[in-house]
Amino acid sequence: MPQLDTSTWSITILSMIITLFLVFQLKVSKYYFPEDPKPTLVATPKPVTPWEKKWTKIYFPLLLPL
Amino acid sequence: MNENLFSSFITPVMMGLPIVIVIVMFPSIMFPSPNRLINNRLISIQQWLVQLTSKQMLVIHNQKGQTWALMLMSLILFIGSTNLLGLLPHSFTPTTQLSLNLGMAIPLWAGTVITGFRYKTKASLAHFLPQGTPLPLIPMLIIIETISLFIQPMALAVRLTANITAGHLLIHLIGGATLALMNISAPTAMVTFMILILLTILEFAVALIQAYVFTLLVSLYLHDNT
Repeated sequence: MPQLDTSTWSITILSMIITLFLVFQLKVSKYYFPEDPKPTLVATPKPVTPWEKKWTKIYFPLLLPL
Repeated sequence: MNENLFSSFITPVMMGLPIVIVIVMFPSIMFPSPNRLINNRLISIQQWLVQLTSKQMLVIHNQKGQTWALMLMSLILFIGSTNLLGLLPHSFTPTTQLSLNLGMAIPLWAGTVITGFRYKTKASLAHFLPQGTPLPLIPMLIIIETISLFIQPMALAVRLTANITAGHLLIHLIGGATLALMNISAPTAMVTFMILILLTILEFAVALIQAYVFTLLVSLYLHDNT
């Protein structure tokens, strides 16, 4: 049975150790699994103060008849 | 006949160069490293599969055991990809080599046992004697438990080798039988061909299952010892 020919065992084991413990682990260590982003609460809008409800002429200084 | 049947299991050497190194490293090309923030589909699918598998496999372990996550994931990827690539015609499957499987099983098993000895010496030694054994049976039972402990890496290696080798041999034999029967009687060749198709489907399953079983058993030995 050719699997029992021990002359090739050292090179096979060496190449397996390089592949398994070096190459594959370097690749898998670069995998990242981002967290699920949480939806932020919609900010309640600032209540409109009474004098800002009406936009009057005095808010435009340059338009005042002076 | 003997030489011909086992010729696909000889370690490949081309003009004196051991190209078995290249063949063992080849499956890692199938897993490109993620370099970007948003990767392409292949890498994303592989990452998702690894996440799925790792969640499934690491849920039984505690903090100490989960440090082995990288090792177990690269183990299952290596064995699975090597077995699947070996199903291509005329390819060489490294996991049919007893040397490779022994080289994987013995260090990993030894790692789990030594971890158990270092961190939980009394508990890992207590595994040798199940609870509630009658007093006269104790010496014999300790011998039996020791033997069953030391046979674990051998069983891991030989299980993987034998399963994959047997599958490949069956495919060779039944394929050869189909070819030979084609000239003799076509319906029998059809039946044999159906058997071949079913066998190939089985081999796909076996390729993946063997990877899973190997990794699962290593993780079980780890669980006992952390």
